[in-house]
Amino acid sequence: MEIDRTDGRSPNQLRPLACSRGILHRSHGSASWSQGDTRVIAAVYGPKAGTKKNENPERACLEVIWKPKTGQSGKEEKEYETILKRTLQSICILTINPNTTTSIIIQVVHDDGSLLPCAVNAACVALVDAGIPLKHLAVSICCCLATCGHVILDPTKLEEEKMKAFAYLVFPNSINSILPEGSSHTKSKQLEDGLVTSVTHGGMSVEDYFHCLDRGRAATARLSDFLRKNLQPQVLGEGSKAG
Amino acid sequence: MEQRLANAWRMTVNEKKFIETALLSGLRIDGRNLYDYRKLTINFGREDGSSEVLLGQTRVMGFVTSQLVQPYRDRPNEGTLSVFTEFSPMADPSFEPGRPSESAVELGRVIDRGLRESRAVDMESLCVLAGRLVWAVRIDLHILDNGGNLVDTANIAALAALSTFRRPDCSLGGEDGQEVTVHPPDAREPLPLTIHHLPVAVTFAFLSSESIVVLDPTHQEEAVMGGRMTATLNTNGDICAIQKAGGEGVPQSVVMQCLRIAATKATDITSKIKEAVEAYNTERSLRKIKRHPVPNVSADVGRVKENKNLSFNLKDGDEFSGNQMPKISQLKLEIRGNDPQSDSVGGNTGIGSNMKGGITSKGGNTGNFLGGPSSWDPYSKGIDPNLLRSSLASRGVSVPSKKLEDLKREKHIISEAKTEVPSSDNKPTSLIINSEGGLPTNRKKTLKDAVKPKHKRKKRGSASTNGS
Repeated sequence: MEIDRTDGRSPNQLRPLACSRGILHRSHGSASWSQGDTRVIAAVYGPKAGTKKNENPERACLEVIWKPKTGQSGKEEKEYETILKRTLQSICILTINPNTTTSIIIQVVHDDGSLLPCAVNAACVALVDAGIPLKHLAVSICCCLATCGHVILDPTKLEEEKMKAFAYLVFPNSINSILPEGSSHTKSKQLEDGLVTSVTHGGMSVEDYFHCLDRGRAATARLSDFLRKNLQPQVLGEGSKAG
Repeated sequence: MEQRLANAWRMTVNEKKFIETALLSGLRIDGRNLYDYRKLTINFGREDGSSEVLLGQTRVMGFVTSQLVQPYRDRPNEGTLSVFTEFSPMADPSFEPGRPSESAVELGRVIDRGLRESRAVDMESLCVLAGRLVWAVRIDLHILDNGGNLVDTANIAALAALSTFRRPDCSLGGEDGQEVTVHPPDAREPLPLTIHHLPVAVTFAFLSSESIVVLDPTHQEEAVMGGRMTATLNTNGDICAIQKAGGEGVPQSVVMQCLRIAATKATDITSKIKEAVEAYNTERSLRKIKRHPVPNVSADVGRVKENKNLSFNLKDGDEFSGNQMPKISQLKLEIRGNDPQSDSVGGNTGIGSNMKGGITSKGGNTGNFLGGPSSWDPYSKGIDPNLLRSSLASRGVSVPSKKLEDLKREKHIISEAKTEVPSSDNKPTSLIINSEGGLPTNRKKTLKDAVKPKHKRKKRGSASTNGS
């Protein structure tokens, strides 16, 4: 039984992706990521001297500030900040710059569903743009479960509201290895199968959840390719800007 | 506390001296003339009332929203306007999250004064029920990048967002006319605000020695300046507000000269804002006409869109969805072949809506359209606009889609056609006469078809007003 999505996508189809980095001039790293109509701008400042009060001074510290489109920052924004901070902490190499704080600021430009995954992707690109050392990249996707039991990827806001449950999933970037097959296969396999973050809303059965994970992981291959292509050094771009 | 000071940006003495010395010879460090603005770019977002303005390196986003509230007691039949400025920490390392700093509050107040006191936005038209319900318009300005001269940029962002904002239409009903129903945007077209004039802020920086005045300072010049003045005026030459808060004293003659310069600059900026708003409005109305979902074609469009986005987003740092829209809508235009410049297609869209009634009777070509996506993949050999136009000439505006959607849309368009034209079988209007009674044998093109365009164009005009 096929699901009819209002914008005509198939259940496994993502919205058009767009990414640009280096858009802001004062910040050390910046990126804009949009999936369909959802658009998020991320900026990175860091590393700055000193850590916050309760943080471990022997490691680098991350600070996330989430700015909504309109209105004051409330509990929802605080929750996003915490989730994002923990996600990014697991991909940054925290032992390199101890006793420093790196700030990541997220600005929501438009929310049309799948906001947190969009923010995670934007933050990742911004960190790369700023040159913060990372263990690996992260790609994020939203999978939702319709009432009929089908799994749909990358929902719009209207779809998200109608779904029985949805999950925001963050996976490590898929490996594009230049090593010969089989050399460090087991280790890379473990990393690839890993799940960095999962935030679920609504109730779903365990099987459905695993189903979501599978679909999500499959889709991250496409996201990873897009990310990799986008993060190629912009040599030609810089040349044309200067000229 | 020490950490905060350690992270603050300080300009070196050498840099300060360099800027001042250069200015003594009339040179600015970015090569501009003393009274030149930086490059201004105004982009709009997906929704009404969202704008992004770039003035050189300064970037500000404006969002306008509205809500029904109770009016103030002393102004029972006026709406309210409030300006909120967010100095996002991403704009400058010295901006802290949390309580707005003095400069943030000052900026908000300057923009607010320029709009409110000069009565730029008509407040009385925002009244729904006198004394009970009025529209409260809220402007949120997010400073994303501090490249200097935040006031001017934020002001332009606020004006651009206000000019493109649309509030929902509401009507009074109920027994005593006291019940208010707010119509959702799909039911009734939302209404724009009534803006009488655009108060544009122009900022001057006064540098220490020799009374040097520069327009539109960058943030390096701001670190060196001794004082600043912002004049808010409109194209009519009315001064809406002047803000000069402290700083070094400036002779009156200099102030008058600044105001004169500001007047010319204000007209420039107003025309730029108006152009950008015009472009946005035309693009928006194009979007509104084609609001029907396009199932299978968009499956391919999605992929192509993605590729297009990749290619032109990789090089351009300042992409914004507003900019992408013209390209994407152009692509959509090509697919649907709804080329407004082409008279024949424009004329034939009318045929399309009428011919929908007869579409099932057509075999051959249309049968292909009604089939699945596999029978028509526009991207297998690239889009040939001529081919599209000719195919559309015989079939009308229909885009190939899944049977279900097509039938649904057919029904919709048939009903649409029916509302304007009672039935394709009767011949009450001249246009039915021309279309030969519902086009029983649709594939034969006669001279009358060549004549059709004239009438069809008028019909299409009415069709779009009826449909949208």
